[in-house]
Amino acid sequence: MFKNDERYWNIHQLNKWFAISSVLFVAAFVWMFIDDNDDEYKVYQRNFRQLEIQMAEAELAEELEIVKSERIDYEAKVQKAQAHLDAQTSLADSLQNRLIFLKGVFYKDNMNFQGQKSQIDALKYLVERDNTHETDHGKDHSAENRKIYDDANALLHEYKLKKETTETDIADTESLINAINQESKHASDELNKVLRDVLLVENKLAKIDRERMSFMNKMGDLVRDLPILDFMNPYYKVKQYVIRDIKYNVNFTQVPSVDRCTSCHLGMTNPDFIDAEQPYRTHPNLDTYLSPASSHPVEEFGCTGCHAGRDRGTSFVSAVHMPDSEEEKVEWEEKYDWEQMHHWLKPMLPSKYTEASCFKCHQNEAYIKDADQLTLGLSLIEKSGCNGCHLIQRYDSRRKAGPDLAKIAEKLDKGWTIKWIESPRSFRHNTRMPHFFEQDNNSSPEMRKRNETEILTMVDYLFADGKEASTKNDHRFMGDAVNGETLFNAVGCRGCHIVEPNMNNMSDEISIESILKDHGPNLIGLGSKGSAEWIYNWIKNPSEYWSETRMPNLRLSDQEAKDITAYLRSFTNPEFEAISHKNIDEIDRDELENIAFGWLSKMNSEAYAKMQLAKMDHEETMGYVADKSFRYYGCFGCHNIPGYEDAKPIGTELTFEGSKPVDKLDFGYIHDLDHVNYAWFTRKLGNPRIFDHGKESPAEDKLRMPNFNFSPKEVDALVTAILSFNEDEVSETMLADHYIKDALVYEGRKLIKEYNCQGCHIIDDFGGQIVDVIGATEFSPPNLNTQGRKTQPDWLFKFFNDPTTIRPNLQVRMPSFDMEDEEWNSIIRSFQFGDNQLLAYETDHIVAMNAKLKAGKKLASTDFGACNNCHFYGSTFPIQDAQAWAPNLAMAKDRLRADWIVDWLKDPMVIMPGTKMPAPFLPTSDLFEEENANAIYGNALISLDGDSTAMLEGIRDFIWNMKGQKDITSIVKKYFDENGYKFGEEESDDEEDEWGDDDW
Amino acid sequence: MLQTFKDIIDILSVPTISFTFLTVAFPFIFPPSDWFEKVHRKLGIWRLWTKPGFYGGMIAITGFFVIGYFDPNFHITLTKADNFPIVLMVYSMFITIWWSMYQAYENDARLEKGLKPMEYNDPDDKVLVWPDLVYIEFIALILFMVFLIVWSILVAAPLEEPANPASTPNPSKAPWYFLGLQEMLVYFDPWIAGIVFPMFIIIGMMAIPYMDVNKKGDGYYSFKERRIGMFIFMYGWLVLWLFLIVIGTFFRGPNWNFFGPFEFWDPHKVVPLNNVNLSEYVWVKLLGQGMPANILLRESIGFLALVGYMGFLPILLAKTWLKNYFQEIGPVRYTFLMMFGLSMLALPIKMYMRWLFNLKYIIAIPEWFFNI
Repeated sequence: MFKNDERYWNIHQLNKWFAISSVLFVAAFVWMFIDDNDDEYKVYQRNFRQLEIQMAEAELAEELEIVKSERIDYEAKVQKAQAHLDAQTSLADSLQNRLIFLKGVFYKDNMNFQGQKSQIDALKYLVERDNTHETDHGKDHSAENRKIYDDANALLHEYKLKKETTETDIADTESLINAINQESKHASDELNKVLRDVLLVENKLAKIDRERMSFMNKMGDLVRDLPILDFMNPYYKVKQYVIRDIKYNVNFTQVPSVDRCTSCHLGMTNPDFIDAEQPYRTHPNLDTYLSPASSHPVEEFGCTGCHAGRDRGTSFVSAVHMPDSEEEKVEWEEKYDWEQMHHWLKPMLPSKYTEASCFKCHQNEAYIKDADQLTLGLSLIEKSGCNGCHLIQRYDSRRKAGPDLAKIAEKLDKGWTIKWIESPRSFRHNTRMPHFFEQDNNSSPEMRKRNETEILTMVDYLFADGKEASTKNDHRFMGDAVNGETLFNAVGCRGCHIVEPNMNNMSDEISIESILKDHGPNLIGLGSKGSAEWIYNWIKNPSEYWSETRMPNLRLSDQEAKDITAYLRSFTNPEFEAISHKNIDEIDRDELENIAFGWLSKMNSEAYAKMQLAKMDHEETMGYVADKSFRYYGCFGCHNIPGYEDAKPIGTELTFEGSKPVDKLDFGYIHDLDHVNYAWFTRKLGNPRIFDHGKESPAEDKLRMPNFNFSPKEVDALVTAILSFNEDEVSETMLADHYIKDALVYEGRKLIKEYNCQGCHIIDDFGGQIVDVIGATEFSPPNLNTQGRKTQPDWLFKFFNDPTTIRPNLQVRMPSFDMEDEEWNSIIRSFQFGDNQLLAYETDHIVAMNAKLKAGKKLASTDFGACNNCHFYGSTFPIQDAQAWAPNLAMAKDRLRADWIVDWLKDPMVIMPGTKMPAPFLPTSDLFEEENANAIYGNALISLDGDSTAMLEGIRDFIWNMKGQKDITSIVKKYFDENGYKFGEEESDDEEDEWGDDDW
Repeated sequence: MLQTFKDIIDILSVPTISFTFLTVAFPFIFPPSDWFEKVHRKLGIWRLWTKPGFYGGMIAITGFFVIGYFDPNFHITLTKADNFPIVLMVYSMFITIWWSMYQAYENDARLEKGLKPMEYNDPDDKVLVWPDLVYIEFIALILFMVFLIVWSILVAAPLEEPANPASTPNPSKAPWYFLGLQEMLVYFDPWIAGIVFPMFIIIGMMAIPYMDVNKKGDGYYSFKERRIGMFIFMYGWLVLWLFLIVIGTFFRGPNWNFFGPFEFWDPHKVVPLNNVNLSEYVWVKLLGQGMPANILLRESIGFLALVGYMGFLPILLAKTWLKNYFQEIGPVRYTFLMMFGLSMLALPIKMYMRWLFNLKYIIAIPEWFFNI
């Protein structure tokens, strides 16, 4: 016993404190454990388990329903067999007992046998030693050993016999038992076979549904997930994919991504959960992503490689989910207590921008499959000339987006140019030329005065020699506007141009398809712009005025060009003409000097600036301000301007813009904006000067990105593209072009896009919008599916350089493009690659003079195929009217590939949907048994015995052998010059019927 | 009404005002001499160290934080996980200082009456280590563990993104216990504020028992018996260390600009940095000429000032105002005391010179990375 009064403190009191604090400590400790193990993903996994159980139960019910009737029979059988078995219980029991007894006997016999065997092995050694060494230390035991060995062998034999007898007894007894059980076993096997699917589901359920578990399994299932013990094999655990080829950049090192998304998104790869609620729902596109058979299996690509976000996050917030919209944000805040973990530098891409990630690997492709928004964004960058001012290393500008201004004086007059620069949209409501002026940060009276002066100096520079276009010769270059309209719609102008004066008629839905239509400018108001002479010369030969234009030459005759000119000049813009403007000689000289002085003193001392300014005469000052203005606004980013050929682009480099830290983006005084980069990009693209709001910047330092009037959809597409320009690194082998080593293929596809081939042709199942204008597939430019294996590459090359008439029924023309040999080669190679036909040179097809050829001739004759109904045979005109005309078969040998013709004849609709070409009639062998078969089909055809391939090859050989004029351009032209095109309106139902004749 | 209060607080908390206020008020709170003591009594400041004073202080601090919590701007700084320790620090510092001062005042009163201090025990009356000491330490340990565990459960560790040399956070703040040092960096070169001063603080505190040999107050709380020592230490601790931490935590925003507690941390705020060196003052402003090319000549005024402050001032004091004191403690103790004391005093002096004269450096030799 201690004496309490020896203590300074009251020990009972302290004990109480100790007790209280210990209890608190235990409570805190328990709380810590609970908090530590109460992960969000476990909640989801528990719910998912319930969902799985529900689904399995539903499946079980379904399976049971299926076997409902069958099952009763089989169960009855099992019962009957069981009853039979029960009747023989006593016999079975005695047999069973005997078996147990025999097994005991066998055990003993076997022991004896094995024991004796090991004895023998030892004795055998002694005998063998005796055989070779003869003596053991001088004593000879050989006879003795030999005897022992022989005796032992005899005993072994005895044991062996005994053992084998017992074995036989056991086998007999067992077969007796089996015979008794046989019936019952067979019956239950059969039942199990019927219940196979049911049992599978039941097995699955037994693993996940605690209710269905045995007591021990239930305990095990509980214990495996207890804290600490769960290190072994828990049910609820973090599930992850380690992706070595996709790295996360932590500034000093690259870390492979470890995607734990499937810890919650549990049904992601399982197609059964397509209707489940999030986070359990199946990925919406398993054909392309995640599944092992897709091109992006989850084991290799993971999740954050495309979606971004925090790969190791295992809760809604820590995975850095990002909402798509303000509404979603509010919803998440309520539902998940969502907030942005802004310390994670790569937040998840809101789902509308996910396509941005495609660019990481598919950066060399003209059209990125299944990523229309990204493709649209990239196309808009090219079309709007973003990369003219902003360097984007992986998406470099291939050409200037706007026209060449070197010879602008031939094309335009100064007044028009001044008004256009000031406000392009008041002339053309949908122009891609952006608005530099009258924007948020430069519409004050002072800025207007400044801008007006700048524009005048720039125009003065562009029209340096004082000349300008005039309309006085117009009458000489204008023909019939009505005919011009017909031509404009027919020859192919509408492949790239629209003529839509009313902006309200424009569709809001911009897409990669819709931009094919207005590849070139909307040709309105041309009566108020420039001169007829220029338009005439331009459409006659565009590359003469601008050598790098993408506008091709349609080989218009003088009269055709005049007619089209007249048509285009018929659209005027009186409102634009009415806008007043200052002339260059009315320029505000004080303002001019102010601007010049401002620029001069920016770099120099004021005294020097004043001196310099005093030295300049008016012309020099004009030139100086023009130069500063060009450089300030970066006009040369989109236009070729003489003197600025080597000027550096003026915008921020965007190569890694998507990875730029948010704090490097100047939000200025705009606070009603989420601090995420895409919100900033969206606002900036909507109003490029917005972040100058409230700032007091001198005129030379104001934001100057012009306003492109992008629609919200265009902005989304552009933001997707900008987000795709990021620093994320993937290994070389993940790049899509790793698998297509031929750079020409990509180049060809880019050229196809750049020259808008898909405005007229369907290529790779995309494009051909001109059919909407022409109205019928058969009068539209051909579908270029299978082009790679259809034509001979050298023919195609010649055709590109000098297009001749192939389809005489088309009024629309294949234009002449002014392209280099390399470019044509790239295009041909991309066609070939698309059809897996990579040979540049092939052995000529030699036609054998045999039955096949004769049969082919027969099939093509008027008795059967009557190819000459539609096809030209050299210079021989087809029998049918012009609108049914089809390519000259005499050209086939030069133009087409022999294999392809056979494929084509097999079923033309497969290769070219909508074609009027029918599949040829091929007689089957049973037809040859008719009486007069010989007379109808001829010996040659009958000898082929209905072999369809041989018959098609015969037709091919017939075509191949055809002689005659190959280029029918001139005779067709002559025909139409005399008779005119009278298509469309004439097409009557009668003729349709004639074509639709099924007796072919 | 509340807004006016907030505006006033915002204005008062500007360092020039709040620091001056604290410095001026400090001797009246911890009076180092009879005169201050008289005012201290007269104004009733001594009541701070009584129980009503405790309640008043606690209510004032809590009230401030409660108002702050409901203010949209202060809410952001106040609820940051990083700043939780500062809130704790404000409370714990007030409680412990009040507790010691309360007992010191009780003892002072007893001593005046000729009684022994409260803590006095018969020297023979020993207390056992076990259980009297170790047991309560153990209980304290457990309770503190409980506190730490609960804290770690409730407030997630404020981890940030991986360090990126190209992108530093704005403001970049040191851990809370170094924020006082970081605040000194506003006024001093890194080698002084980051190296010399911390070293002096550590060595100086180790040296205190050797310099302050006053035996009174050993083993019991007392203020009166060592009021000068208490005053100096408390000024250094509360004003020059803790107060600077509070400023660094709550009042320093983007670009290390000062913001009142209820002000919005506007990253656009710009404060002109047009400070001038002492040498520039003398040569350019006073003498109206260019700076001498010779660095030592250029900075000679600064060196003179420094030598005068650290060298001559102690001698002068020893001969005049501190004559008795110098004789009492002897030259060695006096020298060290002056070295540490004047260094400590240099901080507020430099702060005021910055505020009053835009003084950048007394000695400015950026060529040698030597600035004072």
